Amino acid sequence: MIALVVVAPLLAALITTLFHRLDVRRTTRLIVSALAALLPLTLIGSVDGLSLLFAGIVSVISFLATVFSTGMYSVDWGRGPALWTRKSVYFLLLGAFWSAMLLVVLATNFGLLWFGIAATTFATAFLVGFSGEASALEAAWKYLVLCSVGIGIALLGIVLLGRISFGEGVPQELALAWGAIASRHVGAPVPLASLATALMLIGFATKAGLVPMHAWLPDAHSKAPAPISGLLSGVLVSCSLYAIMRTSTVAVALGAGDTFRQLLLAFGVASILVAGALMLVQADLKRLLAYSTVEHAGIVALALGFGGPLGQFAALFHVVAHAFSKSAAFFAAGLVQSENDTTTIANLGGLWRRGLAGRFLLGALAAIGGMPPFALFVSELLLVAAGVAAHQWIALGLGVFGIVLAFAALTRATIAIESGDGPSDARSGAALSRLSIGAAAAALTCAVIVAAVPWTNAGSAFSAIAHGIGVAP
Amino acid sequence: MTFELLVFVAGAFLILDARTSHVLVAYVVLVGTVGWFDSPAAQDAPFAFALFALSLFLKLIVTPAGIWLFAHRNAAARSLRPGVSLPLRLIVVLALGFGSQAVSNVPGLAQIPAIGVVAYIILCGLAVLVIHHNLLAQVIGLLVLGTGVTLAGIVCAPELPAVLELGATFDALVVTFIGLMLVRATLTHNPLLEVDSLRSLRG
Repeated sequence: MIALVVVAPLLAALITTLFHRLDVRRTTRLIVSALAALLPLTLIGSVDGLSLLFAGIVSVISFLATVFSTGMYSVDWGRGPALWTRKSVYFLLLGAFWSAMLLVVLATNFGLLWFGIAATTFATAFLVGFSGEASALEAAWKYLVLCSVGIGIALLGIVLLGRISFGEGVPQELALAWGAIASRHVGAPVPLASLATALMLIGFATKAGLVPMHAWLPDAHSKAPAPISGLLSGVLVSCSLYAIMRTSTVAVALGAGDTFRQLLLAFGVASILVAGALMLVQADLKRLLAYSTVEHAGIVALALGFGGPLGQFAALFHVVAHAFSKSAAFFAAGLVQSENDTTTIANLGGLWRRGLAGRFLLGALAAIGGMPPFALFVSELLLVAAGVAAHQWIALGLGVFGIVLAFAALTRATIAIESGDGPSDARSGAALSRLSIGAAAAALTCAVIVAAVPWTNAGSAFSAIAHGIGVAP
Repeated sequence: MTFELLVFVAGAFLILDARTSHVLVAYVVLVGTVGWFDSPAAQDAPFAFALFALSLFLKLIVTPAGIWLFAHRNAAARSLRPGVSLPLRLIVVLALGFGSQAVSNVPGLAQIPAIGVVAYIILCGLAVLVIHHNLLAQVIGLLVLGTGVTLAGIVCAPELPAVLELGATFDALVVTFIGLMLVRATLTHNPLLEVDSLRSLRG
């Protein structure tokens, strides 16, 4: 059943290509994608809570991105010179991307997880360069090179982990399974275990965009089409953080938890500070959002580094909250781009008065800025509480300073974009697709609803899942 | 000894030589040598062996043919345009040689056979990525890095041939297929295939 859930999105995309009439193809795409998005529900009880939660995030946001793309892009869209710049290939790659991310979160061992992460590169490198413009190709190239180096380093760590497992008598078929390694409390030599898990962390952190391995992220996330940016920032980064969570479980079991936590704290603080500072100088809306992703990935790393039940809960909650908030923000940026033909902040004044896109963008910017009633407000409070509980005053202080910088950058951009009359030659009132508006509204609504989780019955289930991450010392 | 020597010389040429054709020969020698070393481990499992053969086909036939075609059609692609002078590159090669020897003395790694060679190949791959300023060199660098990781798998965890070969093959597929397609698309905007011209996105 897991295999069917994983391949369903790709199959859905392939089925859609069989229809030639545009309206039939659009309707078929929406129906089969909805079915593919519902399939993970059949896994309740057969996979663990963490995998199920992430499979849910992947499916919901990937479905929303499919809906957004279906609505946003018209008939004459996607006719570039290269094969991958065609509309039908776009949806095939989107399906492949969705399937690859499901493989990452539903794998039960690091071999398959690594394969899923590598497969996301295969699908998304072309999506990043989809427009065929020089800057998009540049972003795709950097993405390919840096992420290939990252996943190569992760594979090296996995190989060393395999050596440790075999050395301690773990059976061949379970040698890379985190469940088997953690439950056996393998007594590995700590330096080798630390090296293996550190290499895995560096590799997966490259894909998550943590500083200093982040150089590809602002380029790729800002140059990809808006729904793909939403998936890259909201879901692919979450999948990479999921891989780091699984690695942390193994690191603790192998006695390398302390080194792993120190690395997480360092990556987390560096990411928040660097991203917060660079957000202040961004002139492009999508690039600003991309740097915000680096900041939020840093917050998750910091919360994991704090450890303890509160840190683990904060990390997991932040991943979920960020996934919905950031995808909503990129969808809103896509609407703005469609309405105004630009994402340059200086050319976007007075958006609040000029249409629905500007109002969605205001909500989305408030969401990623951590304003109430959005879920990131709650998760950032939880982060502070986790830092206090862990007595990590320096890391917490630097982290909060970086978050304040990011908030200031977002506030400044929001004022510039939403207030005033806007440029005199501004376009307004370009027709927006109802499907795309619906997808953006759904993502933004989820970002509010998730905020209530800690105060509901779902909160205890969430807490149980977070406890399984195993970063606690 | 012959294996180590071949790998060292081929790795050194990857960094020292600037001509695409020469670097391509060094790359083929390095990947072929490591493939010859890897093959006994893969032969025990048919699936792993099939993947191993595919991976070698991609690395030894498809990639060199693709790069040779680019170099043949585009005179600017015939030099990898190293970013540092020859004496400095020589120092880098010596540093990599000594550095990889030092890796084999690291606690926990010392018992792993040929770990020095593994470290040397991985470092050579990274050095090629950094030193040469031609996009084709970056494809070669990534494949050399992947070759080093595959060799690491063979010497560290020989019990996992299928997983390793799957990883190696997919890595080669991603780099070869996407890398060469992106290089082809980039040619219209960047005929020199110059890495330095990919710096419009900054800050």
